[in-house]
Amino acid sequence: MTSTGTTDRETAAFAAVELARNPGRPRTLQVIASAFTEWTEMRGDRLFGDDRAVVGGPARLGDRWVMVIGQEKGTDAATRAEHNFGMPHPEGYRKAQRLMRVAEKFALPVVCLVDTPAAHAGVGAEERGQAWAIAESLRTMLELRTPVVSVVLSEGGSGGALALALADRVLALENAVYCVAPPETVAAILYRDAQQKGRAAAAQKPWVSTAADAGIVDELIPEPEPGAHAHAAIVIAALRGALVRNLDALCALPVDELLAARMRRYRSAGD
Amino acid sequence: MSRRSPFRSVPAPGPRLRPVTNTQTITCTSCKHRSVTQRWEEQLRVCGNCGHHGAVGAALRCTQLADGGSLAMQQFDDIGERDFLKFNDGIPYTKRLAAARDKTGLDEAFAIARASINGMPAVLACMDFGFLGGSLGSAAGELFVRGCELAVAEQRAMVAVCSSGGARMQEGIVSLAQMARCSSGVSMVSAARLPYVSVLADPCFGGVTASFAVQADVILAEPRARIGFAGGRVIEQATYDKLPDGFQTSEFLLEHGMIDAVVERGRLRTTLATMLSALMSSRDAS
Repeated sequence: MTSTGTTDRETAAFAAVELARNPGRPRTLQVIASAFTEWTEMRGDRLFGDDRAVVGGPARLGDRWVMVIGQEKGTDAATRAEHNFGMPHPEGYRKAQRLMRVAEKFALPVVCLVDTPAAHAGVGAEERGQAWAIAESLRTMLELRTPVVSVVLSEGGSGGALALALADRVLALENAVYCVAPPETVAAILYRDAQQKGRAAAAQKPWVSTAADAGIVDELIPEPEPGAHAHAAIVIAALRGALVRNLDALCALPVDELLAARMRRYRSAGD
Repeated sequence: MSRRSPFRSVPAPGPRLRPVTNTQTITCTSCKHRSVTQRWEEQLRVCGNCGHHGAVGAALRCTQLADGGSLAMQQFDDIGERDFLKFNDGIPYTKRLAAARDKTGLDEAFAIARASINGMPAVLACMDFGFLGGSLGSAAGELFVRGCELAVAEQRAMVAVCSSGGARMQEGIVSLAQMARCSSGVSMVSAARLPYVSVLADPCFGGVTASFAVQADVILAEPRARIGFAGGRVIEQATYDKLPDGFQTSEFLLEHGMIDAVVERGRLRTTLATMLSALMSSRDAS
């Protein structure tokens, strides 16, 4: 394998990444509208602003009220710009933390829908403490005294995704990717050439089955061929069923037991 | 993991200046000023001309912060590397690890030590940027948590010196999970009401900054260290934003309320000790 040529394996690897990025895949607001009822949006971080890359609020999942929080990528040019392509600023993570604290206070389980290429990289994000916001989200989710279920919908990239994915149960749609950084970034770091994204994808195996093998994702939600973009209703129904089943199990546990298990899990994360 | 001493080539810094026994000089990477290497080491690798803080490896950092005779480097023999992806970017990841060990004399990007700092009992967790860019892989994550567990078991303060490019790309998703693992270590220290102080050294980015590096009770940084989440070059390419002067430096972060103090290396030990004295004072009383 040369460093400039592209092998079939690399082409296939990057095709899988592109499948996960298919704009027709179910988005957070679509999942909320289809699988939940009575969603009532809560906005703002009470510190700086309201980041539209993260949306959230209480909603009903069947008979159960939950706090649903997710990254929204948008579905057309206008909504993609509005939601910043699902790339949160610090205020997005701080809003998520605020909603989680409300959920904890009122004993609502938390459902997080992960759909982001990465946290936003920009001057304002750095000035307002992007790293600080993500780090605080990790601590918040680790210590939150209510059940948390996260679902990787299409793309879970970097600490920007993990900041909504430190949960008691982590689910993922079968064709989603979940990775330390997008293949373009990995290629830029390791090969100093973002064009070698196929090579990075082949080496990194960013699909969610890799994360499942590593014990980081617990359950994959099957997608009929050719993928969720062509069968949104079926996939959202399956996702809803998986959420109800997992929440039933988690809500039956005493909260101290839940937290001890969460701590044990992340104490040895990646082993 | 190997059992080599991490102190192989590390001269002990002395507070008093000794006669120059070796006239070898070193050129400051910032101002090009030439210093006698021995003097530069005695000044903790800070340039006498411009104040530039030179890079300090993990083992030397431990000796700079610990009281004389108090330092006990911790060896953990049961921490295996995890080449989960069988990663090979031309050179197999396992070979890169072996080369990093040879270069630094360390087992991993973290050195963990038991020490006292001006009498305050602490566990030191120092990162080595020379070890694969201080990147956070599964073994490094495990080492940090072992350090936290040692702090809890022995009721010591936790002190981390962070210098890293971020997650270790060769470990893929497993390296991302280390942000969560290290957070669990911080949680344990916090639950035990033991202080955790973090020192950010040049450079500190990515998943390290976005987890344990800034989850501390008190965050200090060395002068002019570059610290952030995304690197400046990435930001320029992604957004075409013009970067403000001094962007992502310690001083910039202090101004934006992200850290508690910018502390020169020569004052680091006493600053840490004073802060730990304050935060542990109620423990002594009870």
